This record gives sequence, C-alpha cells and structure tokens, in this order.
Amino acid sequence: MIGKAVPAREKAAMKILIVEDELKMAEYLHRGLSEQDCAVDVAHNGIDGQHMALHYDYDVIVLDVMLPGLDGFSILKSLRAVKSTPVIMLTARDRVEDRVLGLQSGADDYLVKPFSFLELLARLQALTRRGRVQESTQLHIGDLHIDFLARKAFRGGARIDLTAKEFSLLAVLGKRQGEILSKTAIAELVWDINFDSNTNVVEVAIKRLRAKIDGPFKTPLLHTIRGMGYVLEVRKEETGT
Amino acid sequence: MSEGNISESNVSNPGGFNPRHSIAWRLAVMFAVATLVVFFLIGFALHKVLGHELDRHQQEQLNTKYQVMEYMIVRSHTTEHWQHVTAKLDALSPADGSTQFWIDSPDPKYRYGKPTDDVARLLKGPAGIGEIAMAERLYPMRTEIGDIPANEERPAVRFMVGVDSAPYFKTKQAFRLALLVLSSLGAVVVTGLGLMIARFGLKPLNKLSQEAGELRPKNLSQRLQLSRLPTELSQLGASFNGALDRLESAYQQLEGFNADVTHELRTPLANLIGQTQVALSRERSNGELVETLQSNLEELERLRAIVNDMLFLARADQGERATRLESVSLAAEVNKTVEFLDFIMDEAEVSVRVEGDAKAQIETALFRRAVTNLLHNAIKYSQAKSEIVVEVSSEDRHGVHGVSIAVSNPGPEIPREHLPRLFDRFYRVDSARANSWESHGLGLSIVKAIAKMHNGSVFASSQDGITMIGFSVAGANA
Repeated sequence: MIGKAVPAREKAAMKILIVEDELKMAEYLHRGLSEQDCAVDVAHNGIDGQHMALHYDYDVIVLDVMLPGLDGFSILKSLRAVKSTPVIMLTARDRVEDRVLGLQSGADDYLVKPFSFLELLARLQALTRRGRVQESTQLHIGDLHIDFLARKAFRGGARIDLTAKEFSLLAVLGKRQGEILSKTAIAELVWDINFDSNTNVVEVAIKRLRAKIDGPFKTPLLHTIRGMGYVLEVRKEETGT
Repeated sequence: MSEGNISESNVSNPGGFNPRHSIAWRLAVMFAVATLVVFFLIGFALHKVLGHELDRHQQEQLNTKYQVMEYMIVRSHTTEHWQHVTAKLDALSPADGSTQFWIDSPDPKYRYGKPTDDVARLLKGPAGIGEIAMAERLYPMRTEIGDIPANEERPAVRFMVGVDSAPYFKTKQAFRLALLVLSSLGAVVVTGLGLMIARFGLKPLNKLSQEAGELRPKNLSQRLQLSRLPTELSQLGASFNGALDRLESAYQQLEGFNADVTHELRTPLANLIGQTQVALSRERSNGELVETLQSNLEELERLRAIVNDMLFLARADQGERATRLESVSLAAEVNKTVEFLDFIMDEAEVSVRVEGDAKAQIETALFRRAVTNLLHNAIKYSQAKSEIVVEVSSEDRHGVHGVSIAVSNPGPEIPREHLPRLFDRFYRVDSARANSWESHGLGLSIVKAIAKMHNGSVFASSQDGITMIGFSVAGANA
C-alpha cells in the first residue's frame, strides 16, 4: 500500500541519511523510504552519523536526538558549520526545551516519537520540495473533474453538489492524488486543527463526500486505507480494501 | 520499603544516645546550665552577705575585747593597779596568739607586749581600725588602736588589740568550697531529673512518632489517635492527619489511574497479540494478512492516542504553561471549532449557539483542543434536535475568575457526587460507555490541563436537565 503513497513523479532518487540507534526503527525507516524510491543510508551511532553527514551529500538527514557516542544536537552543530542540508530531528520527548534547542541549533523540523510514517514522509517531501502539491487550476482523476477556481466538481459530466467544506476536503485529497493522507493531516489541511482531536469528524466527512462523488458511480475513487487514512486515485483493480 | 525502614529506625529511637539530636538531652543540658547560672548568682550573693556578716562579727569581737580592757586601763592610776592590768592582759592572751595586746607609753613601765617592727610602726600611726600581716601568721590580724588619757600616776597610753582573722578566712573558704561542690552536685542532679522530666514530658511525642512510624501504605486509612494527645500536639496530629487524608485521596486516585491506564492499554494490546497470533497460526492469504496488519494499525493508533494524551497530561502536571499566547476573540476561536465539528453535529442532529465574546491571551491550538473536547462531550450526551449553547463570558462566573467558556447541553442529569470527578482521568459517569473507540476518557482531564496551563480552572453543574461543563482562562485583557 505504501508503494502508492508517492507517485513516481520525481525521477531522481532522493538521498536520505538516517541516524538512529534503535535497530527496529532504523530498519523500517530504511525499508519504507527505499520503497519510496529513496536512496537510504543508515548510521547506528552518533560518530558514524557525523562522519557520513559531513563526508557525503544528502538531500535530507533524519537525526535522532538521543544517540550513543555523540548526540543529535552535537552532530547538527558540526554539520551546520559546513553545510545546510535539511535536517529533521526525532525526539522521544516533546518538551519545549527540546524543540527550542532543536530549532535554534539549526534543525529544519522535528518529529516526536511515536510518529506516523506517513507524517515523516510528508515532512521529508515538504523539506526537499519534491512532494509539492499540484498548483494547477483544473484536475482530472478518471472521470472526476475538479475546477479549483470555480470551486466546482463534476463526475461523468454531471455537476456534484458539494458544501464548502466538502469541496475543501475534495480539493485537499485531489491536490495530493495518489498520496495517502492521514486523518490528522486532513484535519489540519481542511480545518486547521493541528492536534489529535480523538473525534470521528474526518470519517464522517469522508463518508459524506464519498456518498456524493462515488455513490452513484461504478468505480470508486475515494479509498480508505484502514488504519492509515484516505487516498483519492483511480485504481485498475479493487483489491478488496 | 528500604526508605520506610530508615525512617522507622529514626523515629523509634528518639531518646537514643545522640545528645545533639535528642530533645530530652538538650533539655537536660539546658536545665543544668540554667541551674549552674542560678547557683552561681545565689552563691555569689551569699558569699558577699557572709563576708559582710563575718566582718561585722569580727569587728564586734575586736571591739568587745578592746572595751573590756580599755575600761580596766582607764581606771588604773597606780603602778599597783597596772600590775592587775598586765595580769588581766596575760590571762586574756591565748597561747596560740590569736588575740594579742600591745600598750605603748612614754614610760617603759607602762608598756605591754613585744611589738615587732611592723607592729611598732602601726602603733605609732593613727588610732582606729586596721590590719597587719604578721610574719608568723598565715592570715593578717585585725587591730584596733585607741589613746587612753593619763590617770594620776599613769601616763597616757596607746592601747592596741589584735585579733587573728584566720577563722574568718577559713569560714569563707569552707563556704566557697561547699558552694562549689553543692552547685555541681545540684547541676548533676538537675540534669538527671531534667532528663527524666523531659523524657516523661516527651512521652506523647514519642508515642506520636511511633504511631506515625507504624503507618504503612497498605493501610492508608490509618490515622493518628488525636484523643490521646496533649493539646500542644493535637494540632500537629490534626494537620498530620489532614496531610494523610490528602495523600490517601491522591494515592487512591493514582492507584485508580494506574489501574485505568493498565486497563486502557491492555485491551488494545490483547487485541494486537491475539489477532497477530491467530493470523500467524496457519498459512494466510495476502489479503488476510493485510487485513490483520490494518486491524493492528488501528489498535496501535489507539495506543498512540492514549500515550500522547497521557504525555500531554504529564507535561501539564509538571507545570508546563501555555507559551505561544495570542490575544484573540474567543468566540471566533469557538466558531472555528464548531465548524470543525459541523459534520458530526449534523450527524447527531444537534445545533450549537455561541453567545457572548471576550478577548483573552491564549495558545489557540490548546484552546481549540479544549473546546473540541467539551463540544464533543456535549454532542455525545445530547439527544437529537437539541441545542448546545457555548457561552463566552469575561465576568467572573460559575465560581471561577477570568474569562470563562461554558458549554451546556440538554441531557440526562449527572448525579451531584459525580460532578467533581468528571475531570478525573478515565472517569466515566456511565461505565457502560467505557469502550468506545474515540473516547478513552481523557477528554475532560485534558480540558482541565489546558485550563491549568492558562492559569484557569474548570467547573461543572447539572440541573433541570441541563448539563454545563466549562473552563476558564486567566489573563483576560481588552
């Protein structure tokens, strides 16, 4: 499923360095990002991490704060003395001091564990400006046509009657077509709600939107990826999810 | 438990031999010092009085002897008579020389005694009371000198009586020694008595500490027996019991909280382990495995939500405050939240009305989160077609200060005893609702934490079919 999260829009492989001492996390990040057509190097301690960060060129570095040998802040400091490679810090504590320290010492972003893989992916894309959303005014997904300027949507030539919020939701999904959007991400993009609200607002909204854009038609375009989120795309074959 | 043991040994041995740390010993030593000071002062005064009295006594003795002899000498007017006088003087002079007489006159016939050079010099001096050190004597002699006029044959003579002052000095010495010995003895006795008294007096304290030492976490409801305590200690005991009360309720809340956390985490964990084991117990198709993984992910997301909320609450507990404060219109913020919840309110067929407005310094993300939780809670407990009212007020209302946000919804009345506990973690009035997916029972405790982060507080009431729950934020400004 994850393989579909980022369409192969970018041909050049993104080079990523992961500095993470926890083996399981390093392993899944390596695997997940490799499957996104990224070239991934992994360092399991601070000293190797610093060496690799300084001697090779990466598009982005994922840096754990707590590391054996040399901590993430020190690596960041020595890196910033020579390079401006974008860095995402991973921290187990979301204390304000950590954030401030991280951002002041030159980190471009930070993620608090436990974080979702989708979120990391989204941040990586934002940092490298590769996952840029499409800024066109028109969009066609199968027989669905979205007109962003007029804020109207058509399917099979017929106008779909959407409320303002429903259209915003469709627009958010459409601009990132083929990309899985988590409920948290949707809540943030559509309603500017940037916390775990523990409500089923997004489910309800998706249910409504789906009833309107997929309900009367044979091939569904709005798919639920259970446990992860939602994706708007044309699928040749339904796999039963 | 090791800490318990340490404190126990400290408590059960209060009179132990560590004088620095024992009240009884310190009291005893203070008694002794006080006794010594008092004895010294009294002794000093007595010594003065005694000295004065002895002096007077000696003076009288000297004077008596002088007058007796003076009378005789005055009356003697012939040589014959003078024989009587010298005989009398001989009789009155003891062999040990403790009383001595000297008579000087121009006529050697009328002289008496063998004056040494010193005595002779004194004898030539003025009349009156004097003192003279004698070579052969340890203590000086007190003397009285007088001139007796001539009588017929007898020329004028100068008469001197000397009395040894040894008894006077010896008495004083004995008195000083007795005073020293008795004072020291007294101090020792007072120390001992003081120790006994202090120990006896401190017995209730001892008992109190023993009782306190026997308190165990296992028996939290145990309290100190106040009726057996003297008045001075009963207040201490009462405050101690008060602290125990608070501790007990905090402890119970914590225990309940731990149990709830364990329960909340156990359910998803059990699901995860169970369904993964079932999935792996035989060959599965790809589709089945994907479904298991997806179901696992749902459970894991649930765990993540709980852990994140717990972390949030922990940070608030540790005193974290809202930092990115902005002065904004609260009604506008409430409206944004209402917009977010629009779909589920539509689904639940409830409407919302926002009344009033106020400006306040808030961290908007936190504020929206609190309002979301309150509204979500109100939606859950509202019947269809009812109206939820959000009231923003800048006046002190609902028993809180600052700007308040109150969310009321018509719904079943919450029994009074539940109201104060609504904001407790994992607290549910209706335990049947315990396992709904979206709410894990931390929503209102998060509201409370957010209020606390803004120096505000929370309130709740439920009457006449309307339940109102709200919070306040401090630092309102125009």
